[in-house]
Amino acid sequence: MDILFSSLAAGILFGMALSLVALGLTIIFGVMDIINFAHGEFLMIGMYTGLLTAQAFGIDPLLTLPVAAAVGFLLGIVCYLGFIKFLLRGPMIAQLLGTFGLMLFLRNLALLIFGPNDRALHKGILVGKSFDIGLGIVIPATKLATAGLSLAAFGAVWLLMNRTRIGKALTATALNPQGARYMGIPTERMNALAWGIGGASVTVAGALIVNFWSVNPYIGLLFTMLAFAIVALGGFGSVPGAFFAGIVVGLITELPGFWDFVAYTFEFDWMSDVPMTSFKYMWVYVAYFVIMVVRPRGLFGWKH
Amino acid sequence: MEALKNAVDFSDFPRSDLIIAILVGAALLIFPLFPHSAFAMATMIQFFIFSLYGMGWNTIGGYGGQVDLGKAQYVGIGAYTTAVMLIRWDIPFWFSMPIGVLLSVSWSFIIGYPLFRLKGHYFAIATIATSLVLKDLFEVWGFVGAARGLEISPIKYAPPDFLRLIFREDVYYYYVIFVFFLLGILYMNWFRKSRLGFQLRAIKDNENVAQSLGINVHWAKIKTYAIATAFVSVVGSFHACYIKNIEPEDTMSLNLSILIALMAMLGGAGSLWGPIIGAGVLIPLKSYLKEWLGASAGLVGIDLIIYAAIIMVISAAEPRGIWGLVEKIRRRRSR
Amino acid sequence: MKRIARFTSLCVVLVVVAALVLPTGARAEKEIKIGVLYPLTGGAAAAGRELRDGAELAAEIANTAMADINMTMAQNAGIQSMGGAKITLIFKDHEGNPTLGADLAKKLILDDKVDGLLGCYHSSVTKTVSAVAEQYGVPMINGSSTSPSLTERGLKWFWRTTPHDTWFTKDLFELLKGLTEGQAKGVKAVSQKDIVNLASACEKTEWGSFVSELIEQFSKEYGFDLKKSLLYAKEAPDLSSEVRSLKASRADVLLFASYTSDAILMIKTLKAQKIQPKIIWGQDAGFETPEFQQTMGEDIVGILTRTVFLPQVVKVKPVAGQVNKLYKAKTGNDLSGASARSFTGLQTWVYILEKAGSTKPADIQAAANAIEIPGDQLVVPWAGIKFSTSGKEIGQNVLGSGLIGQYQKGSDGTVGLEIVYPFDVATTDMIYPFPKW
Repeated sequence: MDILFSSLAAGILFGMALSLVALGLTIIFGVMDIINFAHGEFLMIGMYTGLLTAQAFGIDPLLTLPVAAAVGFLLGIVCYLGFIKFLLRGPMIAQLLGTFGLMLFLRNLALLIFGPNDRALHKGILVGKSFDIGLGIVIPATKLATAGLSLAAFGAVWLLMNRTRIGKALTATALNPQGARYMGIPTERMNALAWGIGGASVTVAGALIVNFWSVNPYIGLLFTMLAFAIVALGGFGSVPGAFFAGIVVGLITELPGFWDFVAYTFEFDWMSDVPMTSFKYMWVYVAYFVIMVVRPRGLFGWKH
Repeated sequence: MEALKNAVDFSDFPRSDLIIAILVGAALLIFPLFPHSAFAMATMIQFFIFSLYGMGWNTIGGYGGQVDLGKAQYVGIGAYTTAVMLIRWDIPFWFSMPIGVLLSVSWSFIIGYPLFRLKGHYFAIATIATSLVLKDLFEVWGFVGAARGLEISPIKYAPPDFLRLIFREDVYYYYVIFVFFLLGILYMNWFRKSRLGFQLRAIKDNENVAQSLGINVHWAKIKTYAIATAFVSVVGSFHACYIKNIEPEDTMSLNLSILIALMAMLGGAGSLWGPIIGAGVLIPLKSYLKEWLGASAGLVGIDLIIYAAIIMVISAAEPRGIWGLVEKIRRRRSR
Repeated sequence: MKRIARFTSLCVVLVVVAALVLPTGARAEKEIKIGVLYPLTGGAAAAGRELRDGAELAAEIANTAMADINMTMAQNAGIQSMGGAKITLIFKDHEGNPTLGADLAKKLILDDKVDGLLGCYHSSVTKTVSAVAEQYGVPMINGSSTSPSLTERGLKWFWRTTPHDTWFTKDLFELLKGLTEGQAKGVKAVSQKDIVNLASACEKTEWGSFVSELIEQFSKEYGFDLKKSLLYAKEAPDLSSEVRSLKASRADVLLFASYTSDAILMIKTLKAQKIQPKIIWGQDAGFETPEFQQTMGEDIVGILTRTVFLPQVVKVKPVAGQVNKLYKAKTGNDLSGASARSFTGLQTWVYILEKAGSTKPADIQAAANAIEIPGDQLVVPWAGIKFSTSGKEIGQNVLGSGLIGQYQKGSDGTVGLEIVYPFDVATTDMIYPFPKW
C-alpha cells in the first residue's frame, strides 16, 4: 500500500518541479510561437549557477535563487536579441534547427568550461534531509521545497501576466502582435521580455533542482523533451496548463510505481517481470501522442 | 516509361548546374582510385549515407513542408530487419532490405494516419515522441538484443560477399552506396515532377486552397511520409551491413533524426541538390573538425561548438539553406 | 553562374586535396605505435582520463630505464629485443560511441598504421573495435572491459587481460555464501534467510544487462531468491522510481552495476528514501571511481564493491606501491581499477612485443598466445597473465582474479576501500550489516 502513496507523492512533487521547468517554454511560445530546443540547456545553466554560487560563497543553495533568476533573465534576453530575433524571420524548420544549434552550442560550451563530470551539492539546510510522514511516504525536503517554490513561481507569473500592465502587454502581444503594435506596445521589447522571464523561470527551476539532482553538461535533453511534452499537453501558451500538465507528467513517470503496487497487491507475478522502469519516460510520449490526436489543443490551449 | 523519362530528364536546370553535377559525379566515381586515407573514404561513405537520408527527408520535410524529426526509428527498423534476418536465418541483404522497407512503410502508415492530423510544432514533437518510443521498446526487446544490440560477426562470413553485403575493404561499400546515391537522385528527380510532387507543393503553399482544389491533403502527406521512410530504411539496412554493429542508442537516437533533417535544411530543403550539398558540407566538416580539434586535451568539445555555431548562423541568416542562397543570388543577377 | 561553378569546384578540389594530403603513411623510425581508444569525453570521461594516465605511465616506464621499479620492463629503455624501440601511444576519443570507435579503429589501422590496439573500457565499444581489428588482422589487447561475451566470439586477434563479469559475479555469491558460513572476517555466521532476498539494478547497455543476467543465473545456482531485477538508463537524472521499486521488493541485499553518475545518484536516492538493506554491493565501475568517493563522503561506508585494485594492495604487492608512487606524483590520485588495468594492458603489450621481437602481426599473435607474465610483475593482485587458446573462451587471461572491497573509515578518518574477499587476504573486519544512514 505504501508504494501507492509514495509513488503518488513522488509523482506530484516531481511534477511540480517539471511544471516550473515547462513554464518558461510556454511563456516564450505563447508570446512568439517559437519552440526553444535549448530549453533544457537553460535549465542546465541554471543548475550550474545555483551550484557554483552556493559553493563559491558558501551560502545555502536556496539563497542562490535570485542569482539564478538574474542569470536566466539576462541569458534569455541576450539569446533573443542576439539570435532568436533573426530566426523569427525564417520558416519554422529554420527556427527548430536554429535553437537546436543553440542547444549544441550551450551544451558543449558548458562541457568546455565545466568538464564532463557530474557535480552535486553536498551542503545546505535541506540537502539530504527528508520527512517520513508515515504510510511509507518519505519526502525529501528538497523536493518539498521545490514544489513549494514552484507554486510560488507560478503564482508570481500568473499575477504578472494578469495583474500588471507589463503582463497585459505581454498577453496582448501573444494574442495579436499586429494589434498590439497598433496599440503602441513595443512588441520587440515584449518579445525580449518574454525570453527574459522564460529564461529566468527555468534557471530558477534549475537552481532548485540541483538540490537533489546532479548536473552535467548532458542533462538538458531529457528535460527539453519533458518540457515539450508538458507544454503540448497543457496547451502551448497556457500558464495554468503548464502547471497541471506538469503534475500529470510527473505522475506518468511514476507509472512503474503504480504498476508495482498492482503487481504486489494482487500478486500478479507476471507484472513484476515487465521492465516498467525502463519505460518511465516513454509513457509520457505515448500520452502526448494520444492527447494530441484526441484533443490537439491540449488541456487549456488557446493557440494552434 | 514516362516515369523513366522523367527521372533522367534534368533539362529544367540551368546548363551550368548540370555541368557541375557531372563533374562532381565523375570525381566521386574515380575518387577511390586515387590514394586516399581510410578516414577520407569513411567520410565519403558517410556523405553518401547522409545525402540519401537527407533526400528521403526532403520529400516530406522539404517539398512537403512538414518538419519530421523522427526518421531515426526507420533507420532502426531497416537496420534491425537486415541484421536479424542475416544473423538468425542467413538471409542476404538483397532480400532483407526490401522486407525492411516493407516493415518500415507499414509502420509509417500506422502512425502516419493519426500523426498527420497534427500540424507544425505539434507534429514535429509528435515525430520525436514516436521515434523515442520505438527506441525505448527496442531497448528492452530481447529478440533484437535489447540495449546491447546486435553484432554481425566479423569472422563468420567470408568477404567479399555481395549477397550479404559483407566486405572487408570500404571501397566495395563505397560503390554500392554510390549506386544507391545515383538511383536516389533519379528518383527524386522523378518525384518532384510527379503528381504527388506537385500536390505537395500546392499543400505547402496553402493547405486550405489545396484541399479545395480536390487534393486529398491527408493522403498526400501520408504517402510522402512513406516514401521518406522507404529511403531511410534502405540506407538503414546498408548501415547494418557496413557498421556490423547496431544498437538502439546508436541507430535510433534523436541526434540522428535531427542530423538527417539538418542535412536537407542546411543545403536547402525543397530542392533537388539541397540535401546533397548539405551533407557535402556538414559531414566532412564534422569529421575534420573533430579530427583537428577534438582530441587535443583541454579543448574538448570545441569542434562541436564550432559546428553548432555554424548551424546557428545558417539558420538565422539564410533559412533556405545554401541552395536558397544560390537561388537568391541568381535571382538578383537576372534582374 | 561563374561564382557558383567556382564555389562547387572549389569544394570538390578541397575534398580531393584533403583526401590526398591527409596522413596516409607511417614513418619508418624505430618506434612502435599502439593505438589507444578510450572515452576521453562523454559520460565516462572521468574514467577515460584515468585510463589514459595509466597507459601513459606504463609507456613511460617501458621507454625509460627506472632501476627502482621491480619490473622487467622498467629495467631497460624501450623494447630490448627490437633494439630499444620506443612505444608511442596514439590516443583517440570514442566518446562511448561504438560506431565512432569502429571508425577510429579503422583510421588507426589504415592511416596511422599502428602495430596494435589497446582499449576501450566500454564493452559496447570494445565489441565493434575488436571486430575491426579482427577484420584487418591487427592485434588488440583489452584491459578493462568485462562483458564475458567479448572473448566468446572466437576472435583470433583479441586478448583480454582483465577477468570478466562471470568471475566477479561468482565472487559476490561466494562472499554471500561465505557470510552464511561464518568465513567473513569479524562477522559471525549470518543466517541464510537474513540475506536470501536479493534485488538488482543494472544499467542497461552491454555491460550492465549482462551482469543482470549473471546475477539471475547465480542466484538460482546458489539458492538465493532474486525478487526484482531491473535495468535503467545510466543517463537518467532521477532514479527514485527505480529505488522505490527496489524498496517494494523488500530485498535485504541490493546489487548494482552502475557507472559513476548513476552510482552516485542511486546511493543518494537510497539514502533519501531511507532504505535500509543489509548489504549493498556494486559491480565496480562507478562504485570505484574517485568521483564517487569524493562526492558521497562518509555515506559510502559499508558499501561493497567488486574491485580490481585498491591502494591497500600495495601491502601485498611492493611493485604496486612503487608504481602508485609515480602515478600519484603524476596525477595526484592513487591508482584505481581503471588506471591499474589500463597500465597492465599496456604493460602486457610491452612484454608481448619483447617476446615477439618484431612488429609483424603473426609474431605478435604467436607471442601473445604463448606468453606468461608472472604475478609479481603486475600491479594488480592477479596470479599472472596467460591467455586461453582453446575452449569456449579464446584470448582470455585465465590467471586473473577479483577482489571485493568494502568502504570503511580508516583510523585517520578518511574513507577508503579495505579488502574483504577473498577471505584469506582480507585486510580488516567486514562491516555487516550495512550501517544506518
